[in-house]
Amino acid sequence: MSLSNGAILPATLASGTVKKVIEINKFLLGTMAGGAADCQYWETYLGIQCRLHELRNRERISVAAASKYLSNLVYSYKGMGLSMGTMICGWDKTGPALFYVDSDGTRLKGDLFSVGSGSTFAYGVLDQGYHWDLSDEDAQELGRRSIYAAGHRDAFSGNTINLYHVREAGWEFIGNYDVTKMHYDGPGDVPGAPVGGYGYDVRIKTV
Amino acid sequence: MEAVKKGTCAVGVRGKDVVVLGVEKKSVLQLQDPRTVRKVVMLDDHICLAFAGLTADGRVLIDKARVECQSHRLTVEDPVTVEYISRHVAGIQQSYTQSGGVRPFGISTLIAGFDPHDTKPRLFCTDPSGIHNAWKANAIGRSSKTVREFLEKNHKDDLTREATIKLTIKSLLEVVQTGAKNIEITVMESYGKQTSLALAEIEAIVAEIEKEKEQEAERKRGRHAATAASQALMAQANLGSTDVSGTVTPDS
Amino acid sequence: MEVSFALTGKDYVIIAADQNAARSIIKMKGDEDKIKALGSHLLMAYSGEPGDTIQFAEYVERNLRLQQMRNNHPLRPQAAASWVRRSIADSLRSRNSYSVNILLGGYDMAENTPKLYWMDYLGTQSDVPYAAHGYGSYFALSLLDREVQKRLVISFPSFRVKVVDAEGVREVDVDMSV
Repeated sequence: MSLSNGAILPATLASGTVKKVIEINKFLLGTMAGGAADCQYWETYLGIQCRLHELRNRERISVAAASKYLSNLVYSYKGMGLSMGTMICGWDKTGPALFYVDSDGTRLKGDLFSVGSGSTFAYGVLDQGYHWDLSDEDAQELGRRSIYAAGHRDAFSGNTINLYHVREAGWEFIGNYDVTKMHYDGPGDVPGAPVGGYGYDVRIKTV
Repeated sequence: MEAVKKGTCAVGVRGKDVVVLGVEKKSVLQLQDPRTVRKVVMLDDHICLAFAGLTADGRVLIDKARVECQSHRLTVEDPVTVEYISRHVAGIQQSYTQSGGVRPFGISTLIAGFDPHDTKPRLFCTDPSGIHNAWKANAIGRSSKTVREFLEKNHKDDLTREATIKLTIKSLLEVVQTGAKNIEITVMESYGKQTSLALAEIEAIVAEIEKEKEQEAERKRGRHAATAASQALMAQANLGSTDVSGTVTPDS
Repeated sequence: MEVSFALTGKDYVIIAADQNAARSIIKMKGDEDKIKALGSHLLMAYSGEPGDTIQFAEYVERNLRLQQMRNNHPLRPQAAASWVRRSIADSLRSRNSYSVNILLGGYDMAENTPKLYWMDYLGTQSDVPYAAHGYGSYFALSLLDREVQKRLVISFPSFRVKVVDAEGVREVDVDMSV
């Protein structure tokens, strides 16, 4: 998940039919890593609390407050077996914001995070391509490319990629991409994407 | 409710970009340390509270509100809004009317301040029943009705800082006979900027108000005398021309 | 793998802490602030169990602020240190404790002296002229000079450094290339 040019871009791997990006509300997204049930349950619960906050205070909850709510919640279960590594991102009064929250109770604000077993592979691609004012297309391509790298290299990650883009008006679902298809054929005619596959073409090409 | 009416008067006035709290201080006894008698307190960097009623109840409620201010900062990483803390204070007061074995808080409060990232002054009022409302200007405590009526007559939107302070003091003088030394004024100018007026400053404004009143009275007296004279003249003329009624006398 | 240093001078305390936030082998952040300003003249560097550190630091921060609101006066460094130590000690004897190590530095405005307290997660407290937590302490305590950077195996790329003196709290830039 990266934050750039006033926009945040979460991209995750979906294993089978499970959606790994949880749509907390129109302006907030959460990602899943670790215990899928824990993440799914508590992030949905977080969505309920965010809505209640909105009703009580006649104002949308800030990303900082939402992520802190989750952080405090999982911290209260510390040592009881919860396993979650999540990113909460969204857009509020202060602009785009991204937080990393895990079941240790750690909560970090940042503009670039990657979580999960394949995170190291994603970081490799993410770090070399990231710049704070990437264009929308380039940012989306970087997200897609980095999750592909994780899906390709990590034995425990794979299947498909879900890509979202968060802007001032809320998040937008960009698309679902098959990792294998990305390897051989690439995302196809998508702005910012190169011609051909992410992996196969590169390997068989003779210079 | 009865306790509130007996409490010393407190006034809050909202100006264009300032909000002023004024309270009537019970006269400090000779051997009392005046610094320990405070009726306007800070709840957080950006919010002030004034109350009328039982001081001891006030202290408890203020402490609860202060805890909530810090707790709010801890959980949502933002300072409270004036509305939020007013709602919270009113909520506490309400809860003490509902359960058995507890006595309601014998105080009304005026809560003033600024919301974070905002320049609009805000003023709220809570009472023992747990009602909370936003006001342009309001008074609580002893003779609050008189003062509120005075405010209703004299409050205008978009008052300047000086005009707001003056109106606050003027309205307090409706019930405070002893003048400047029994008035405490707190001015909030922007987020986190709060000042208490020194006695000398209040005295100066009181003197100014008194002078204005004097002039007003003088003018009235002058006008009165003038009308009396003209009426007398007219009466005389009337007497001279028509004899309608012998009971007509000037200055009746 | 965290480290923090502090030392007192004639009329100031200076505190430095690394800025890494790591999960297992991954450095997730390189600009994390681990020194909290608890008041106009009080600084606290914290390290230890992830989660506990932030939770405890914020708990202390808000409680000391509350006491300042209540009393119209901030706690002096000595009193603040006692309160923090007591909080650690109380939590240690509860069901789940805070595993946090603390360096608390402040400037006592009443006595015009700098103060530094070293505390660990067991509730040990000592009043010291200089102190360190983490692996860095093994070097710092014997050296506490510019050699630290050369000797430190786990040489961190950057430190956040804050000073507290009579003027209050401020952050300073330190050239790490020396």
